[in-house]
Amino acid sequence: MTNSIPEIGKNTEVIFVIGSNTAECHPLVARQIIKARERGARLIVADPRLTEMANKADIWLRVPAGYNIPLINCLLHVIIKEGLFDSAFIKEHTEGFDDVKQAVEEFTPACVAGLTGIPEQDLIEAARLYARAGAASIIYCMGVTQFSFGTATVVALSNLAAITGNLGRPGTGVNPLRGQNNVQGACDMGCLPNSLPGYLNVTDQKNRARFEKEWGVKLPAKVGIKISEVPDAILDGCIRALYVFGENPVMSDPDSNHFRHAVEHLDLLVVQDIFLTETARLADVVLPAACWGEKDGTFSNTERRVQRVRKAVDPPGEALPDWQVFSALARLLDYHKMNYLHPREIWEEVRRLVPEKFGGITYQRLDQERGINWPCPAEDHPGTPILYQGGKFSTPSGKAVLRPVLFDPVQVPGEKAASFKNPLTGSLSELPDETYPFVLTTGRRVYHYHTGTMTRRCEPLDQVGPKQLIEINPVDAARLGIADGDFVKLSTRRGSIAATAWVTERVPEKTVFTTFHFWEANVNELTNHTTDPVSGIPEIKVAAVQVKKISPAEAKQLYEEKKEKYLVDLTREVATKFSQGRR
Amino acid sequence: MLNSFVIANPNRCLGCYTCVVACSAAHRKSGLQAAPRLHITYSPRGTMPVQCRHCEDAPCAVVCPVNAIEIRDGMVLVKEQACIGCKMCALVCPFGAITMNGTFPPSIPKPAGQVQSLLAWLAGQKTVAIKCDLCCSSTDGPQCVKVCPTKALQLIAGDQVERLIKLKRISSVAVVDSILNEEGE
Repeated sequence: MTNSIPEIGKNTEVIFVIGSNTAECHPLVARQIIKARERGARLIVADPRLTEMANKADIWLRVPAGYNIPLINCLLHVIIKEGLFDSAFIKEHTEGFDDVKQAVEEFTPACVAGLTGIPEQDLIEAARLYARAGAASIIYCMGVTQFSFGTATVVALSNLAAITGNLGRPGTGVNPLRGQNNVQGACDMGCLPNSLPGYLNVTDQKNRARFEKEWGVKLPAKVGIKISEVPDAILDGCIRALYVFGENPVMSDPDSNHFRHAVEHLDLLVVQDIFLTETARLADVVLPAACWGEKDGTFSNTERRVQRVRKAVDPPGEALPDWQVFSALARLLDYHKMNYLHPREIWEEVRRLVPEKFGGITYQRLDQERGINWPCPAEDHPGTPILYQGGKFSTPSGKAVLRPVLFDPVQVPGEKAASFKNPLTGSLSELPDETYPFVLTTGRRVYHYHTGTMTRRCEPLDQVGPKQLIEINPVDAARLGIADGDFVKLSTRRGSIAATAWVTERVPEKTVFTTFHFWEANVNELTNHTTDPVSGIPEIKVAAVQVKKISPAEAKQLYEEKKEKYLVDLTREVATKFSQGRR
Repeated sequence: MLNSFVIANPNRCLGCYTCVVACSAAHRKSGLQAAPRLHITYSPRGTMPVQCRHCEDAPCAVVCPVNAIEIRDGMVLVKEQACIGCKMCALVCPFGAITMNGTFPPSIPKPAGQVQSLLAWLAGQKTVAIKCDLCCSSTDGPQCVKVCPTKALQLIAGDQVERLIKLKRISSVAVVDSILNEEGE
């Protein structure tokens, strides 16, 4: 996030939520939005589904899955046409405005209304509301990024914030909500294929030298493989051993059957996790890991706030914190410098190596303050809840770089793209057709966390959400003879699942929605693994799908197949063996 | 005195299910059926948990053939031990606040996987009516109200309703008075 979470409740006048089911996926951020609304702030929500946020919005733009770019470009079009942009900010702090202006020219409200079905007046009202606000904040999540044009959509959103001057001030910003408590921290620490800790590019010799000196090794200068490229890299023979920790890719990666097929070709699969996950059941070696309540260290949350976590109980059995497993492994591989006594020593190393971002964040301060937002270069620095203050950006020119974003559902014509300098383009890799006439979109439910590894073992939560539900619009349901609670089978070019239908207006016509929480009906057997050319993020949020009503007997048969496929009985066998061994 | 009840404000409810889980946990702790007694209900008009209103002339208590539902201490209560699971109360409840829930015999493991509820039959299962009991077995009141992160739920105590009615009468006198005075000016 460019800004901090409490600013939403305190300062923001207009909140634009796009591609985020905030109430279910980030309820504590949603609480700030409720607080803001009660203070008089206005809420614009763009989502194909009638989520809780959409239900509470002043303007709900029911954008079909996959059409975020035309929507955002239309808002830009209206803002530019009506002169609602911040010309002083554009002049002093941005570059590339003319290109953007030219690119959004064709996205008139009439044209986008025709493309998306959103009423023209709503598009115009939303653009005016956002642009006229003293402080407007954009909140987005996977509904923006998980497309083959996710990066382009994020660029379109930053264009929107930049031309209205909604950056670098309290209550403004472009604010992605990160999915896990420490996904920000993982990225900060260099868990990305192209960067070292602190987002230092791995291809730069100067950056590598910094770490080589401390660690006493030579570091590879090559950018690594992205997670979404792993299955194909295995099949190409580039990867022969895979070490998975804190991930359950059999459930969470798109086109799960493809991933499963790839994994069979590995020489070695190691999985380190707190439970015997669906992926761990396929592993050659399983290493038991400690969970969050069993280890010390820090988490960095979505607003870049580093926070201290403290061990509450000892890990059970042979389980160890991840850092201890890695250190032990390093020593076995003859690297003896990775020898720490406490996570604090690792943090001290981070401070030493990346002082410009983390230098001022000490354990002592973390114990006294309620976390510190990086960058925090010195111990007397208060931290940085708001990035880009005073319109200073971290680009070579110090200005925000605006880039034209083009869109066409099928394909952006080459000559159109060529008429711009450095454009980004978007088009859908799979459109509905006669065989697969519905659009499938995916997400989460509030009571389960991701692949359900933890929450499905929690009885009260599993009681609230015991089974997979497929949301289908009443109009479609009536046409297909599906009643609420009937079994429905979804099939795409990649696989099939069966689950219970939830007939509801929450989804628009011709669209179905379901989640990846349940192995009984894991939506990622259906999703598309086409990726974004820049970030490599897969197109999990949209696919063409066939919907069919099935009998309970057919559902039962599919259930038995999945039970076998996901080696469900193995968990029971292992548990029994383990408890006998203990006795 | 009127009966007390818990009610939600859909403008504040996030549908986060914290109340539902707290409900389940509290009743499990008291040795009652662990199924939640409030039901997050989605509609195009809004979302909120729906639970028992503790009606003064509770139709559920009227129809119960074995007198398992009684009105006492400002609440409508189901005696789970006495209930025979005849479902009449669930049919007459105007709010959909009563559900049927069964306990599996502890000697038989819960069936794995998801089968339709009608197929999920087990010998010895006892099914009873369950509904909100305002957490009367815990000392600090309804747990749903306590845990709600947006304060969307509140407990309306019986005497509070009477007090509110009196206050509104006083303010309505003031309204009439000010209208008359304005006309006089």
